[in-house]
Amino acid sequence: MSAQVVGDGTTARSRASRRWTGARLPVLIALVVLLTAVGIPLLQGRTSSTPLAPDNPGPSGTRALAHVLGDQGVDIRYVRSATEVADHAGPGTTLVVASSDGLTPGAVDTVLGTGADLVLLAPDAALLERATDGAVEPAGLEPTVGVARAAVCTDPDATAAGSLTSSGEGLRAPDVCFPFTGDQAAGAYAVHERADGVRVVIVDDATFTTNGAITSGGNAALALRALGKHPDAVWYLPVPEVTATPGEPAPRGGVLSLLPPASGAVGLAALLTVVMAAWWRGRRLGPVVAEDLPVVVPAAEATRGRGRLYRRGRAHGHAGAALRAGAAERMAGRLGVTRAAQPGALVEAVARATGRPAPDVSGLLYGPPPQDDQQLLTLTAQLDQLESEVYRP
Amino acid sequence: MILTGRAVGLTALGVVPALWRPSAWTVVAWLGLVLVVCVIDALRAASPRQVGLSRDVPHSVRLGEATSCTVTATNLGRRRLRGVLRDAWPPSAGAVEPVHPLQLPPGEARRLTTALRPARRGDRVAAGITVRTLGPLGLAGRQATLDVPARLRVLPAFASRRHLPSRLARLREIDGAAAVQIRGEGTEFDSLREYVIGDDVRSIDWRATARRADVVVRTWRPERDRRVMIVLDTSRTSAARIGDEPRLDASIDAALLLAALASRAGDRVEMIAFDRTVRARVAGAGGPRLMPALADAMAPLDPALVETDWPGVVAAVHERLSQRALVVLLTTSDPGVVETGLLPVAAQLTRTHQVVLASVADPVSETLRTDRGDSRALFDAAAAERAELERTAVAALLRQRGMEVVHAAPDAIAPRLADTYLALKAAGRL
Repeated sequence: MSAQVVGDGTTARSRASRRWTGARLPVLIALVVLLTAVGIPLLQGRTSSTPLAPDNPGPSGTRALAHVLGDQGVDIRYVRSATEVADHAGPGTTLVVASSDGLTPGAVDTVLGTGADLVLLAPDAALLERATDGAVEPAGLEPTVGVARAAVCTDPDATAAGSLTSSGEGLRAPDVCFPFTGDQAAGAYAVHERADGVRVVIVDDATFTTNGAITSGGNAALALRALGKHPDAVWYLPVPEVTATPGEPAPRGGVLSLLPPASGAVGLAALLTVVMAAWWRGRRLGPVVAEDLPVVVPAAEATRGRGRLYRRGRAHGHAGAALRAGAAERMAGRLGVTRAAQPGALVEAVARATGRPAPDVSGLLYGPPPQDDQQLLTLTAQLDQLESEVYRP
Repeated sequence: MILTGRAVGLTALGVVPALWRPSAWTVVAWLGLVLVVCVIDALRAASPRQVGLSRDVPHSVRLGEATSCTVTATNLGRRRLRGVLRDAWPPSAGAVEPVHPLQLPPGEARRLTTALRPARRGDRVAAGITVRTLGPLGLAGRQATLDVPARLRVLPAFASRRHLPSRLARLREIDGAAAVQIRGEGTEFDSLREYVIGDDVRSIDWRATARRADVVVRTWRPERDRRVMIVLDTSRTSAARIGDEPRLDASIDAALLLAALASRAGDRVEMIAFDRTVRARVAGAGGPRLMPALADAMAPLDPALVETDWPGVVAAVHERLSQRALVVLLTTSDPGVVETGLLPVAAQLTRTHQVVLASVADPVSETLRTDRGDSRALFDAAAAERAELERTAVAALLRQRGMEVVHAAPDAIAPRLADTYLALKAAGRL
C-alpha cells in the first residue's frame, strides 16, 4: 500500500493568487491594447473618406474649409439625411447642398422649405429649376478642367475672390460670374434672390471646396464668403439609401427586417449557449499526458540517402560497379575463390561453373561501366542471371 | 469551476424567456441566473482536495503482459462525493479505461482498478490523478489534479526465450549429460573411466591404464565457471529503428538469451550498458537471481544520442576481468562507426579475451539490395550492395584481429549469438 495523498497543499487563496500571478501580464497587455484601440480614434476625432464630407481629411474631402470656418466662428453641422436638414436648418442659417446625387424630390421640398440661405454645389437640373424658379439654367458646355477663370461681374463675393477654378458644365443666368472663355453668357457662379427672400448661391462644380483645390486662386475666398454669411451652416451631403422626407419612418436595413422580431434575442441566447458549451467541453479531465518517445531513425536511412545521391549524380558507373562487386563477392564465396585472388581466377571459375565462354563472363563482371538507366537495367538483369546459374545445383 | 452538459441545457432554455419577452436584457439576465445557480452548485460540491488517494502498482511487468493499477480513494470530507476520477498514465502504459465514476459517502473508501497493458519497454511514470466532483444539482463542480507518484517498470519481452530449450539441449549434448563424450567436445579434464567399445582410442590414458589392469580413457567436459561479459552499446547507433523497435531492444533480447544459456552452462555472467559512461551494471548475480536482475537493469535503458567511448569500454572491461573471458559486444558493425571507434582498440580486447561482436542487421537493407523494380530501385540496390561490401570488409578486419562477428536480423540475432557461444564452448575457446 503506497502512501496516501490528500490534496495538493494549496488553498483557495493560494490558487487564486497563483492564477492572478500567471494571468496578470496577459490581462495587462489585453487592457493596454483595448484602451489603445478605443482611445486613439477618440483622440483623433472621427474621420471618413467620403468625398466632399467635412470630416474627410483627404484631397477629396472638405475638412480644411470646415476647420477654417470653425475658426472664424461659423459652426458647420454635417448631415446626411433630409430629416436632419429639417431639424437643423432654418431662417438665419446657411444650407449647403454639396451634391445632388441621391437627392429625392421629397428632399428637395425639405431643403426649399427650411427658409435657410442656400449654397448649391453642382446642382442637377431639377434642383436648379426648383430652387431658382427657372431663373438659372445649366449651360451644358464642355467642362474645362482646372482652368482659373476671372470674375467678370458685379457680385461682391466673386470680385473679392477674383478667380475660380471650376470644371463644371456652366450656368446661364442674367448675371453670371467667372464666364467661360468661349461663351461669355455662361459662367460658373450665379446668385439668385428668391421671392421669399432666400439667397441662393449656385456654383456649377463642388471641386473648389475640396482640400486638394481650396488653396488655388480665389477658391478659398469664394467658399468662405459664400458659407460664412451666417454663424450656423448645415452641410448636407445626401445619401441615396437613407434620404427620406420627415414623417415617414426610415426604412430598416435589408434582409434582417424580414425576420421575426424575437429572432435577435433567440440568436443571442443560442450564441451564449454555444459559449457555455465551449466552456463545458473545453475543460479537460486533467492535463494531457505526454509520452517520452525514443529518438528513432530508420536504420536503412543512410543507405537510401546514398541511393538518392547516386541517382541525383546520375552515377550509373558507380552503381554498376557496386552491383558487379557485390555479385562477384557472392559468386567468389560460392565457388571458393579467395578474396585476394586475381580477377582472372574468378572469371575462370565462373565460366567453368556456368559453361559460358570466359570473355562473356569477364565482360559482364569487369566490362565498361553502364552509361544510362537502360544499360544499368540490362547489366543488372544479366548479373542476376549469371548469379542464378552459379547457384544452380 | 467546471460545467456539465446540464448547465449548457439550462442556458439553452433561455430561448423560452427570449421568445416571451424578446430583448437582449432578458437573455443576459437568464444567463446571469444560470451562472449564479452554477456557482452555488459548485460551492455545494465536495472538495476534491479532501480525498485521500493512494496508488498501487506492481513493481514490474513483462512487456506484452497485462497488469493493473489500483487507486484507493477515501472521502475525508463531510459531504457526499459524486463525480469522476481519472487515473492518468502515459499512452504507452496502455491504460484501457482510466476514467472511473465515483460515489463516496463521507468517511468511506473505494478501490478503483485501471487495467494496464504496456506497449513499450522502460519505466512508465504515472501522471496525476484528477478528481472531479459535482454539486447536488449536477450543473457544475470542482476539479483538482493531484500528484500521486507511481512507477511501473516494463521489462523486456524476451521473445527469444522460445529458442532456449533447443539451445539447452545442445548444451547438454556438449556437456556430456547426453551420451557422447569424446575428445573435442570440451577441453577440461573431467574424469577417468573404463574403456568401452566405441570410445576414441586417442583418448586412452596410457599411464592410468598401466597402473590398473583395465584400459582407461580420459573424459573431457566443457569448461565451467568461465566468465562471460556482455557489453550493451547504448549510444546513438542503438537508437536506429529496425522494424518496429530500436536496435537496442533487439540487442537486449539477444543479451537475455545468451545470459540464460551461459548461466545454465555454469558460466558467470556480467553485463554493463555503456556509451560515455556505465549506464547499467549487473555483476555478481548468479543462479536464479541473474535473469530478474538483468531484466530489471536493462528495462529502463534508452539510447543516448552520443558516440560510444570505446577506450572507456575497454577500460571498464579490464577493470572487471583480470583473466581470459568471453566478451560479447552488442553493438553495430556499421563501417563508419567501427572504423573510427572500435577498430583502433580491438586488439587491446582480443589480446586477453575472446571477443564476439553481435550486430543487428536491418532486413530493409536486404530488401533494398534485391529490389529490381526500376532504375530508381537499382540505385538503392547499388547503395545497399556497396554498404554491404563495406560492412563485410570491416567484419573481415575485425576477424583478422581475432573477433567473432555475428550479423543477423533482429529475430535471428539472439539464436545466432547463442549458437556462436555454443560453438566457442564446444571448441574450448572460452
